[in-house]
Amino acid sequence: MKKKLSVMMFTWEFPPRVIGGISPHVFFLSKSLAKNGVKVHVITCDFPGVPAHEVIDGVEVYRIDSYKNPAPDFATWVYLMNLNMQKEAAAIVNKLADKIDVFHAHDWLVATAGIGLKHVFRKPLLVTMHSTEIGRRDGLHTDTEKMIHETEAWLTYEAWKVICCSDYMVSHVRWAFGLPEDKLVMIPNGVNTRVYESPEKEDRDAFRAKFALPEEKIVLYVGRLVYEKGIHVLINAVPKVMEKVNAKFIIVGSGYMKEQLLNIVRSMSLEHKVLFMGFADDETLLRLQKCADVSVVPSLFEPFGIVALEAMAAKSPVVVSDTGGLSEIVDHDVTGFKAYPNNPDSLAWGITKILLDENYKNYIRENAYRKVQEKYNWEKIAQQTKTIYKAVLGEYSKSFWA
Amino acid sequence: MVGQLAEYINALSTQLIKNKVETYVVTYHDSLTGAVEEASGVTVVRVANPVRAHIGVLAWDLTLNQEVERAAASIYYQADKQIDLINVYDWHFIPAAVTLKNALNIPFVYSVESLEDQRSPNSNTPYNMSIKSIEWLGFYEAKKVSVKSEWMQNEIVRIYNVPKDKMKVVSPSADSWINDVLELYKTVAGGLNST
Repeated sequence: MKKKLSVMMFTWEFPPRVIGGISPHVFFLSKSLAKNGVKVHVITCDFPGVPAHEVIDGVEVYRIDSYKNPAPDFATWVYLMNLNMQKEAAAIVNKLADKIDVFHAHDWLVATAGIGLKHVFRKPLLVTMHSTEIGRRDGLHTDTEKMIHETEAWLTYEAWKVICCSDYMVSHVRWAFGLPEDKLVMIPNGVNTRVYESPEKEDRDAFRAKFALPEEKIVLYVGRLVYEKGIHVLINAVPKVMEKVNAKFIIVGSGYMKEQLLNIVRSMSLEHKVLFMGFADDETLLRLQKCADVSVVPSLFEPFGIVALEAMAAKSPVVVSDTGGLSEIVDHDVTGFKAYPNNPDSLAWGITKILLDENYKNYIRENAYRKVQEKYNWEKIAQQTKTIYKAVLGEYSKSFWA
Repeated sequence: MVGQLAEYINALSTQLIKNKVETYVVTYHDSLTGAVEEASGVTVVRVANPVRAHIGVLAWDLTLNQEVERAAASIYYQADKQIDLINVYDWHFIPAAVTLKNALNIPFVYSVESLEDQRSPNSNTPYNMSIKSIEWLGFYEAKKVSVKSEWMQNEIVRIYNVPKDKMKVVSPSADSWINDVLELYKTVAGGLNST
């Protein structure tokens, strides 16, 4: 029997450890790859209460000791965690009966583990660049930022192929690290539409009543409260929306800007209209997305924009800033409203338009739902990824490492 | 050269070649990189850190380790996988030695020149603790630990509780020095090819 294609993925987050978008990405990608006949081993950080090794829908998940001693700073912790990740993954590969064909790293957070194992086992390394330091920080200002940027550059240099989730990210990564065009591949991110189709246990009105009055429209923001996500732009748009529509703004997520944002809301005397929820569990988040009258993604830098896709899958109409991956996901006035980035007036205009025009709202949410099902499904993404693995292995077989 | 280690490694590698032990040295240099065969017959591979900007010694060391590891793996494959053991000096390149051991089954000797607890007494900042955790990892993963004095052996027992029979005192000033080194290598590698 022909040996299955075997891949080992490195990710610093995997459910139930969820910090950002990489966790769900690797979760669905690995499961869909397994369904497509690829043997997938995921190496990730440990998490309280979950086993160090388990098999999830055919995916072998290993959770390594993520270095729990105090580290001098976050970036140094990342390298220390990579030391453990590399050590444990090396032992796992060594003991496997079927050897690994390809290593696949997700972002700089697992760069040194991926690079190290590539060389000790002499197998090709692929990387998915979900984001970049220079993009997140809008430039490189500190030694930490420069160090992370150089680690990213090194990772893309060592990788056989660099996968990005949007055309915007392909050109951004190419520019940031000066990569040759044929090294980059665009494979979109996906969304699991099925979870939004499951029947609800609780009455929707009763659930909605926990967050807003019946006469209030719900405006939903889901994301970290950090500068690059543009949450401050949305907060500044709140009074402008309130002039025309009675709405409740629900903010899901946490981040270093929280206090600053609370102060702005207080200064506008709109505490009763803006609800900071912090982190929400999956079930609550999903239901909120389903009952939101509009979902807003006001990012200033957005490599992809998975939150917009999730909202579209939940049939919540979206207002996004016209930037990065969001520009590709949303067609203006067809699958959503595109606002000028960093412009509260434009954002308020879009939100108000959706909240006041029922026909427009229904038109874009139906179009958006269709687009998500057609373009961003995991089955298709897994097939595209498998094709890239095979192409890389074909090239590798002609190299002196093979 | 930073300390006395450079001269020691130079003397040791030269002696090893004389005793028909194929020897490669992997070390750091920020401008002279690549493999060079020295007059003594030792192949020295110098690697630079691919990350130029840094926030501290630890992050610098951990990124440099990948290049040390890459160079060592490259030597292993070029030598038809016939590398019997790795000898790692102090904590700096323990991460590389540990991965190489776990991936390629090459045992390593951890030679202790000094310990973080001695260099920075009573310092338990996250920085010191991280280095100590790397030293601990070295003691745990090493097949044998080489020390230059009984005093150091006792220090390692005191600080890390490493069993004494895992350690061997190899004094560089003893007449039997190179034979002691070879003896230690033999116990780790289970017999050297060239002897």
